[in-house]
Amino acid sequence: MRLFAKIRPMIETVLLLPLVLIALGLLIVLPLRRTALTNPQAGWFLSLFPLAAFFSVLYAYNLLPNGKPLFFRLPWLPLLDLHFSLYLDGLSALFALIITGIGTLIILYTGYYFHHTSTAGSHSPADSHLEFRFFAYTLLFMLAMLGLVLAGDLITMFIFWEGTSISSFLLIGYKYKEEAARKGAFKSLFITGGGGIALLAGFLFVIHLTGSADLNAILAGRDVLTTSPLYPVFFTLIAFGAFTKSAQFPAHIWLPEAMSAPTPASAFLHSATMVKAGVYLLARLNPALGGTDLWFWVLSLFGIATMLVGAYLGAKQNDLKPLLAYSTVSQLGVLVALIGQNTEIAFKALVISILAHALYKSALFMAAGIIDHETGTRDLRKLGGLRKQMPILFGVTAIAALSMAGLPPLFGFLAKETLLATATHPTLPPVVNAIFPLTTVLAGALILFQAGILVWGVFLSPPADPKHPAHGHDPRFGFWLAPALPALLSLLIGITPIEPASLANFLAEAAKAVYGAKVKVSLALWTGINVPLILSIVAVSLGLLLFWQRNRLRPALMAFLPNLTVNTLFDGTVQGLDWLAHTATRLQAGRMRVYLRVIVLSAVVLLLLLVGLPPLTLFQNVQWNLMGLNGLRAFSLVVMATAGLATVFLRRDLYAVIALGLVGLAVAIWMALEPAPDVALVQVVVDILTTVILILGLNAIPRKQRARANELLHSRRGMTRDWLVAGLLGLVVAWTTFTALELRPRQSLVSPYYAQNAKPLTGAKDIVGAIVVDFRGSDTLIEIMVFGMAGVALYTLFHFGTRQLEERAAKEPGVKLLLPGTPKGIYALPTSPLLHTLAYVILPLAFMLGATHMMYGHDQPGDGFTAGVIISLAIAMWYIVFGYEDTRRKLPWLNRNHFVAAGLLLALFNALGGLVLGAGFFAPVDYGKLLSLPLPPGFALSSAFVFEVAICLTVIGSASLMIDNLGRPREEENT
Amino acid sequence: MNILTALTIGILFAIAMYQMLRRNVIRAAIGLALISNAINLYLFSMGAYNGVEAAYSTAIAQISDPLPQALVLTAIVISAGGFAFVLGLLYVVSTRYKTSDSDEIEGLKH
Repeated sequence: MRLFAKIRPMIETVLLLPLVLIALGLLIVLPLRRTALTNPQAGWFLSLFPLAAFFSVLYAYNLLPNGKPLFFRLPWLPLLDLHFSLYLDGLSALFALIITGIGTLIILYTGYYFHHTSTAGSHSPADSHLEFRFFAYTLLFMLAMLGLVLAGDLITMFIFWEGTSISSFLLIGYKYKEEAARKGAFKSLFITGGGGIALLAGFLFVIHLTGSADLNAILAGRDVLTTSPLYPVFFTLIAFGAFTKSAQFPAHIWLPEAMSAPTPASAFLHSATMVKAGVYLLARLNPALGGTDLWFWVLSLFGIATMLVGAYLGAKQNDLKPLLAYSTVSQLGVLVALIGQNTEIAFKALVISILAHALYKSALFMAAGIIDHETGTRDLRKLGGLRKQMPILFGVTAIAALSMAGLPPLFGFLAKETLLATATHPTLPPVVNAIFPLTTVLAGALILFQAGILVWGVFLSPPADPKHPAHGHDPRFGFWLAPALPALLSLLIGITPIEPASLANFLAEAAKAVYGAKVKVSLALWTGINVPLILSIVAVSLGLLLFWQRNRLRPALMAFLPNLTVNTLFDGTVQGLDWLAHTATRLQAGRMRVYLRVIVLSAVVLLLLLVGLPPLTLFQNVQWNLMGLNGLRAFSLVVMATAGLATVFLRRDLYAVIALGLVGLAVAIWMALEPAPDVALVQVVVDILTTVILILGLNAIPRKQRARANELLHSRRGMTRDWLVAGLLGLVVAWTTFTALELRPRQSLVSPYYAQNAKPLTGAKDIVGAIVVDFRGSDTLIEIMVFGMAGVALYTLFHFGTRQLEERAAKEPGVKLLLPGTPKGIYALPTSPLLHTLAYVILPLAFMLGATHMMYGHDQPGDGFTAGVIISLAIAMWYIVFGYEDTRRKLPWLNRNHFVAAGLLLALFNALGGLVLGAGFFAPVDYGKLLSLPLPPGFALSSAFVFEVAICLTVIGSASLMIDNLGRPREEENT
Repeated sequence: MNILTALTIGILFAIAMYQMLRRNVIRAAIGLALISNAINLYLFSMGAYNGVEAAYSTAIAQISDPLPQALVLTAIVISAGGFAFVLGLLYVVSTRYKTSDSDEIEGLKH
């Protein structure tokens, strides 16, 4: 209730809408499994969610007050100044619209992509099952990506950033049965994940310097950030994160390998979204971090290098998808280099290029997927001549490829024009003034060349292999619609006679967000004869020249530098890490004794280093006052030490166990003298329970085996070493204990609070009891969960173990199980009638005793736990007296697992009752008073009492599970 | 008196550790139970002050520190649960490997 009160219905809340819509789609995918929907139907249906998100972003964008960003914040951990916040301005709107818009088409396309009826003959039921997993991953990725571009602070952004890495890992490795998919997925996660870590470190620097993670504060903090001596450090970290994500050279190697993903994923992740995340980040932070020399040089150099490497490698490819992937790498290089320029025109070029690239590249990827789907191959060496068979697809691909080539009248032409205009801008340093245009022209020519061979090789050229020409026909409507829409949009933006003013304004807003000042964006194709046009003509001519010489050029390219060595470096790094991990693992001995030795010795060394040797003055006033209670204390201590030593030196296990029980009882005496009656009581009952289950457990292990193990206990080998290690630990413990005891009394920070408030706040006289069930109630809840789980785990362990043995017994005649019908009593001893009667009497008595403990435990020693153990001990007596089978038959109400479950649920509901009726979770509630019940004095039907009952139930269940399982008759082997 | 308490706790720790360092897993379990007791005593001695009366709000004289008591109470229960589970493991290990020698229990390492 309080949570929602904090979110006032404000306009900013609308920012949640796109995320909620995608999340809704994600939630709906799973139930779709149970429907009879085919993949295309599911695609049409699910694409409604990103479509709705698209319009909600558009709606939110129109709400922007005078171009000021919308900011939404939900407190998350306000104490640490952590919030979940969202932010919408022109730049995030541009990306969000691309993500949801392309995302809609991708989801639609996915449905058809996984629909395999067109390949006649190979149709099988397995082909047509719903690929809900792929839909879910894609929507998950969309959610992460959308969150990333809408994030309003660095922490939120980082979380979504990692979300994109993880969900893209799932998508790339979708066909996980293929090694290439696994390797590609691993590589992309390794590289982008590594970048993510660097990014987080960089973000933390920025947050530290500006004092806030909020985007508003950071965008206003340029002076603090760029003048900081740490600027190079966090800039490098953030750039590293962005470069790895956006596949900048030399981290570009993951992108081509990520092509092992199903094509819808490639079309989405590797054209329009995931790889643009780095670009988005750099653009987003440009107002805060940009404009420095370092920024300019790093972004320009890496950007230009990436542009060239991508364009060059793309020209070598035969497979359509890697070809497109490398041209994407090239384009990403262009975008990064543009962000580095920090001029008005560069940002104009940036936003136009982002949109143009998203449109044509997603269309081309989807077209490549259709070609693959219809013909069964994506290899240019096998394709060709599909123009007549697939006219629609030919048209779509041609338009998109023309846009990619940057030819008029397409949107891509406009993008290249503005890009070339950037290249000729006079404010740039002279070196780049020469290099940037040259490289841009060269890359432009290479990209045109690639677009050319794509269209030529698939549709226009005669079949590459005349004996086996590729066959295919145009796909179904929805399938080609998905690539056709962005392709047509590229055409429409280019050819509309009236300049689309709203789009230009929209892009200008986006560019403004990057630049920090107003940017003029015009979308007119024809700007007169000027330098960009001339450069463009040069680039186109060069590209056409290359294309004309393609049959000579391509073999030459393939022969030259077969592969760059970056992959070798990557593989070397991964192998090195593997080797390191392997070596480190070899240091693990795998023996507990060795670990214990290391732990003890290092603890001792650490203590000596940190604290030093004990001061001798401490030992000067050692007092030996053994009068009165001290005498009893000394007695209990002597018993403890003697019985403790006996557990080592007694050769028979049973005697050792009894000595252990004696130690526990002596400890209880010591505790009672502390005086700590509550603890002493629990110690006594637990000590007895422990001894009982230990004896039961011992009985389960063959005597011969135990005797053999005892030889080892007393063998001389390693004895001195073990005693030395153990003795060292004992000395250190004795020393620290002595120091602590000598320094008593000292001020306690918390205990007085409990002592003063136990009675007024909880109504309990017993302060310890009040701490356990009220002040630290959650602690106790977890404690009984652990105890309950121990019993259930034991049950599982035995159930599993004995089931195996039962199977073995059925197969091997040597093993025989002693199950029903064996003599009474766990030890198979004849039991006397007196004992029977005693057992009958003791169980109800134990229940009464338990009830008083629970009812009055709040003012006296005793609690639900003690009650539970007392009752369990009475049950244990039944097991011993009547035997396993009879007890189970005679106590049919004792369903152990139900007891545990009921106890835990009751405890939980009781705690929730405090939330509803009281001040909060676990707050005390007096139900007796609330209902004005007539109750005996001293007993309150309070939440504390209910909690005690819950504890008691859990303990009865769990402890009887322990007794039951450890006391179950074993199999015997005839050996 | 304090020195006697400290020494006893030290002895208990040493015995328990010795048991756990040996190859006999049954005795190692006993060592585990022993060290749980010793740790509880250790926790007690970390209490801020000693008392004459038990920690009740009706007490007239100095009460004993209630906080370590509450912590020890929890610790006793948890160690009892853990100990029962260890016994179950001992049984499973002994049926599967036919031994109680920790060095012969191979194959759990990897």
